[in-house]
Amino acid sequence: MAIQVQEQPFYGLTPAKVGIWWFLASEIMLFGGFIASFVVFRLGATGWAEAARHLNVTIGIVNTLILLTSSLTIVLALAAIQRGDEAALRRFLGLTILLGCAFLGFKVIEYTGELRAGYAPWTGTFWSFYYAMTGLHALHVLGGIVVNVVLLVTTEWRRRSPHRIEVAGLYWHFVDIVWIFLFPLLYLA
Amino acid sequence: MTTHAPRSNYVAIWVWLVLLMAAGVAASFLPGARALAVTAIFATAVAKALLVALHYMHLKLEPWVIYAIALIPVTLVAILALTLLPDFSFHH
Amino acid sequence: MSPLPQSGMSAPHAAGHGEAGFWRAYVFSTDHKTIAKQYLAWGLFWTVVGGLLTVPMRWQLAWPGSDVPGWGVVGASEYNVLVTMHGTIMVFFVAMPILLGAFGNFLIPLMVGARDMAFPRLNMLSIWVFGLASLVLLVSFFVPGGAASAGWTGYPPLSGKVEYTGSNWGLTLWLLAHALEFAAFLMGGVNFLTTALTLRAPGMTLMRMPLAVWHQLAATLIFLLSVGPLIAGAVMLLLDRLIGTRFYVPGSGGDPLLWQHLFWFFGHPEVYVLLLPPVGFVCEVLPVFSRKPIFGYRWILWATGGVVGLSFIVWAHHMFVSGMDPRLAMPFSISTILISVPVAWVLFAMIATLWRGSISFETPMLFALGFIAMFVFGGLTGIFNGSAPVDIYLRGTYFVVAHFHYTLFSSTVFGAFAGFYYWFPKMFGRMLSEPLGKLHFWLTVVFFNLTFFLMHNIGLAGMARRTADPRPFEMLQPHQWINEWATVASFLLLAAQIPFVVNVIRSLVAGAPAPVNPWQASTLEWSVASPPPHLNWGEALPVVERGPYEYSVPGESQDWLPQRRPLATGA
Repeated sequence: MAIQVQEQPFYGLTPAKVGIWWFLASEIMLFGGFIASFVVFRLGATGWAEAARHLNVTIGIVNTLILLTSSLTIVLALAAIQRGDEAALRRFLGLTILLGCAFLGFKVIEYTGELRAGYAPWTGTFWSFYYAMTGLHALHVLGGIVVNVVLLVTTEWRRRSPHRIEVAGLYWHFVDIVWIFLFPLLYLA
Repeated sequence: MTTHAPRSNYVAIWVWLVLLMAAGVAASFLPGARALAVTAIFATAVAKALLVALHYMHLKLEPWVIYAIALIPVTLVAILALTLLPDFSFHH
Repeated sequence: MSPLPQSGMSAPHAAGHGEAGFWRAYVFSTDHKTIAKQYLAWGLFWTVVGGLLTVPMRWQLAWPGSDVPGWGVVGASEYNVLVTMHGTIMVFFVAMPILLGAFGNFLIPLMVGARDMAFPRLNMLSIWVFGLASLVLLVSFFVPGGAASAGWTGYPPLSGKVEYTGSNWGLTLWLLAHALEFAAFLMGGVNFLTTALTLRAPGMTLMRMPLAVWHQLAATLIFLLSVGPLIAGAVMLLLDRLIGTRFYVPGSGGDPLLWQHLFWFFGHPEVYVLLLPPVGFVCEVLPVFSRKPIFGYRWILWATGGVVGLSFIVWAHHMFVSGMDPRLAMPFSISTILISVPVAWVLFAMIATLWRGSISFETPMLFALGFIAMFVFGGLTGIFNGSAPVDIYLRGTYFVVAHFHYTLFSSTVFGAFAGFYYWFPKMFGRMLSEPLGKLHFWLTVVFFNLTFFLMHNIGLAGMARRTADPRPFEMLQPHQWINEWATVASFLLLAAQIPFVVNVIRSLVAGAPAPVNPWQASTLEWSVASPPPHLNWGEALPVVERGPYEYSVPGESQDWLPQRRPLATGA
């Protein structure tokens, strides 16, 4: 009998879902490596609290709010496509993209301000960590924006399946969670 | 899958996230022992991360294997940080 | 609920299948078997480069200051480049692409009964990124200042500033090549894990998966979870070099020790990434050539799990004399010696598999046995190195060089050859010559031991690693004959690979066509044509009805039972 038989199931999980979580595991290790190094240095360093005071906490708070809200909008986008609401999907995905761009915009403003005040990546180890970690994070935000833009503009329905929106959302939430830790580590502590 | 299971109230979670962020910022201004303030700040960060992970990433609805994939790297990062402490945090 | 599609490829109707043109079939292929061969091609290319780099290196050690034919005199800086690139190439551009890229890609879908990897286009992207990494590394040889020369471990401060090594673009490109290589293997890693977990054929439960697949997964898991901190560290090193950040610069708040921790946090698990796939190959070869089930399938899984877990908490045994906090020495000595237990367990299971088996000594089996014997040696010297007080003396000497060549060579060379000779008929549809294979084995095992065994002794006598010129060291002069001996043996070891090259070329050009199942083996890949067709299984996925090692089952008429349910009508 020549029929296409079902694969051996794995907890009802799709390959896409399993794949993205494995990728996120590797990303946790990447950011975790930076964060662990930063934390132990911070605990042993002198002058880092002083250096951190030159960060713009207001922008930090605004950016945190932006990312938290963008997590909300992207999960609402998923809910929209799951109930078949194309218009709402486009609205929420678009909002997520705008919020992501706003985050990057504020980072640029921040960096410019800091550089003008003379705080460059080579000014000290605190600044090296600050620029490297937020820079790496910003690159990840940019990557997420690109993925979301592709999902927004593609007209082929198969490309914009709930599975793909969910996978993009999982990546975006991860990027948000990294910031949830970077913000207090760098700006508050 | 997640399509047919009861879902959290996303907006309510968002409100909690904002409140936790505000609490964290407020804690950074706490007078007294810095260690206490820092603990409070990080407690809010962990709480926010858990909310996003459990509700927005739907971890609550996923099978245990996904939890494992998420938790094992976190454990490894903790091991790395703990091992690095003697060399970098307590100065010779 | 709709059936789970295999990432959009259902049955033989996926996009664009029919007659594929040259480009689609061989260059831009998403077929895991082709991608496997592309990784193999790169790996073999780099094997030649990495092997040839040892010639001037060993020449200089045996006859220091003399003219290497076709090269000239090897200066100290040049020597550092040779030793650095030999290590880098062998670990990241030979072992990884061959053991994981080639074998992993080829075997996993076939052995679990899938049509292809879960993400075939991501797979294609990974080999392209790896190709780019290779090109970047190749270019690094020809830039002003020469290639990287700070050791394969690249420690700052030496690697932190251009002035210290003279290697400018070379070291930067070296870092870039690593970054690309890591990206390629992360992509592959996600594919391997997802495919084995979600695309197994009906009846292929996890406990019926062949050990070769389990070991690929274990290796992939280790890599995926350990490489992150090194990428972080490498970004920091790159920034220190390029824009003058202060991560590793003491006196500005940085610390070079941080690199060592981040590097070895990955570097130690990496050696298990290299060890486990060949262990998997040997676990496949032994049952087939002793006509006996593998001994203790579940025990091996548990032991491998133990290796995976422990591999993450032994790394500082590379740092006993680095100046790290001495209180870390005891815990890491304990964990290091502990990890030898599950590894030994697996080796004992292998030996128990042979016990009272009906053993035949075809080339795959010879290499598998060679792996067992040589790895025991390497493992034993690991225990010396792992004990902090002993390591204080041994660290950075040729004793360590001998140790890791015994462990790495036995696994990535002997184990890989066992797999290569075993699966070559399936991969290429031709049989290899047995006499040439046996010749290759015996020459390799003899010259391998002649090259590396006495390095234990010269290491104990105090010869340090990465020594460009042994002449200034008076205490080494009585032992200089060992350097000459090892050099001559190493040249013969290289020459011993010629029968292998001849064998492969002759076989590919004019070898006997391989039957579907030349070894009478039971795993799924031996139930389809050699080589398997595109999408592997024809109209329907195989249905699995038993485990992978049902050999010499009492009461059965033949001494092996295939894993899959036989098809109702021929084919």
